[in-house]
Amino acid sequence: MNVLAILMIGGVLAVPGVALVALRWASHRGELNLPERAALLPFDEEEPVGRATDQILNRQSAES
Amino acid sequence: MSASSQTFSALLPGDVSDDSSKRALLAEIDASCRVPVLFFVISGLLWLLAGTALALVASIKLHSPGFLASWEFLTFGRVRPAHLNTVIYGFASQTGIGVTLWLMCRLCRVPFVAPGLATVAAIFWNIGLTVGVVGILIGDSTSIEWLELPRYSTPILFFSYVLVAVWAIITFRLRREQHLYVSQWYLLAAILWFPWLYATAQIMLLIEPVRGVVQAAVNWWFAHNVLGLWFTPIGLASIYYFIPKVIGRPIHSYYLSVLGFWSLALFYNWNGLHHLIGGPMPAWMITVSIVASVMMLIPVTTVAINHHMTMWGHFGKLKHSPTLRFVVVGALCYTATSLQGIANSLRSYSEVVHFTHHTIAHAHLGLYGFFAMVMFGSLYYIIPRITQREWPSLGLISLHFWACFLGLALYVVPLSLGGILQGLAMNDASVPFLKVVEGTLPWLKLRTFAGLLLGLGHVAFVGNLVWLLARVFGPYRKPVVAILMGAETAAVVGK
Repeated sequence: MNVLAILMIGGVLAVPGVALVALRWASHRGELNLPERAALLPFDEEEPVGRATDQILNRQSAES
Repeated sequence: MSASSQTFSALLPGDVSDDSSKRALLAEIDASCRVPVLFFVISGLLWLLAGTALALVASIKLHSPGFLASWEFLTFGRVRPAHLNTVIYGFASQTGIGVTLWLMCRLCRVPFVAPGLATVAAIFWNIGLTVGVVGILIGDSTSIEWLELPRYSTPILFFSYVLVAVWAIITFRLRREQHLYVSQWYLLAAILWFPWLYATAQIMLLIEPVRGVVQAAVNWWFAHNVLGLWFTPIGLASIYYFIPKVIGRPIHSYYLSVLGFWSLALFYNWNGLHHLIGGPMPAWMITVSIVASVMMLIPVTTVAINHHMTMWGHFGKLKHSPTLRFVVVGALCYTATSLQGIANSLRSYSEVVHFTHHTIAHAHLGLYGFFAMVMFGSLYYIIPRITQREWPSLGLISLHFWACFLGLALYVVPLSLGGILQGLAMNDASVPFLKVVEGTLPWLKLRTFAGLLLGLGHVAFVGNLVWLLARVFGPYRKPVVAILMGAETAAVVGK
């Protein structure tokens, strides 16, 4: 088995390997806890939950 | 604050670095993104127009081989890889990077850090790609699918990409929101996966080439992973952000979204070798790839359930939001192309469709139906916010959507069916090969028509964007309809 074959097999194993390490890191940081809070991250006071955005079609021409 | 944090904080614009707990306003973040994001996006859309023109030339040649046959730079063997590379590295990668930059700033809650760095990256990306595409057209293609760009152009692209990755790491390091949203997981993974894929493939195929069938193995490991570990994470990150934002409702199950991400990270990387079913590869390698491909049912199903359940009760909003229309169609295409890909990876199915137009339909359902549609939807949301201007023509938005939607359907459905018929005929020893080729002609002509519809949609989108940008240089007018003011205001205005 030459160096390149080792590199290739190592490469194929690297993605799931790194993913497992990252998963462990995330778990230790508490990223997998509090899913309700994480789900709200796209929202804030300016654009809160319950407020739809981007509703522009079939209402009125933006040309006016 | 540590020394390294102080060093990073010095990169923040203005006085926002003084108080790390102070959140930047969304408008401030959006305005800070304007130049670098627009640079990537406009470049990407110009490459989309070029890629569409090249695609049409290649498509017409498939049923009318004499078309533009007198110029060697427009022969099929050059036009087709030129189309592929302009679309994946010119359009898809650049718009993907543009959307990634904006999403990272929004979710990290920081204004754009070091915009000059990203702008220089965009300039170098376009220089590298221009050199590469011209190289393909003059006959310097490497002949390795998805890596046709000549060796002299790829270091420029790679340098540009390193700048983008450095920017992303700095932004992530400076984030003011410590908790990560699932979109950030996808984006960070994509940013770190792509250079590793690209560098490995370049080294093993072009710089220090491996021999024999290992070349094919590396080639398809790369080509498949570019879709699954570069474009797919960016597309899914966008879907997970924009569907909740537009309908004003959090994602149905955050746990499912996390499960989808980690199962993609664990299984996708093994999928590529199912492209070599029937080839002279060790059978166990193909089998491992097939098993991993079937395991993709886990992330695909979790993502599909999550998106559908989030939209449940809000489908009426599709009527009013261009972003939602494009993104939801993209999400549906993600499910469809993933399930189709799993079927294609099975030996019995692959025996029929492997060397047929079915594969072309599958690739376009993934890269166009899923990724490009999600990018279009994302840009309808992002561009008005970073330019502080509304889209000038709602008619052009509708034209863009319907032309692309119909073009996509006319492209994918007939070619998928035609590919199966083609495969069955090729496997029948009593059918002459010429008869098989003649049997594909109606599907190929329909494909050209579908390409014209897609081109029409692209022209409508770029026309609308040019119109909007022209207004950026004009006097500011207060928005009348609502992207910039929210749905409630829009409803009032609508009355």
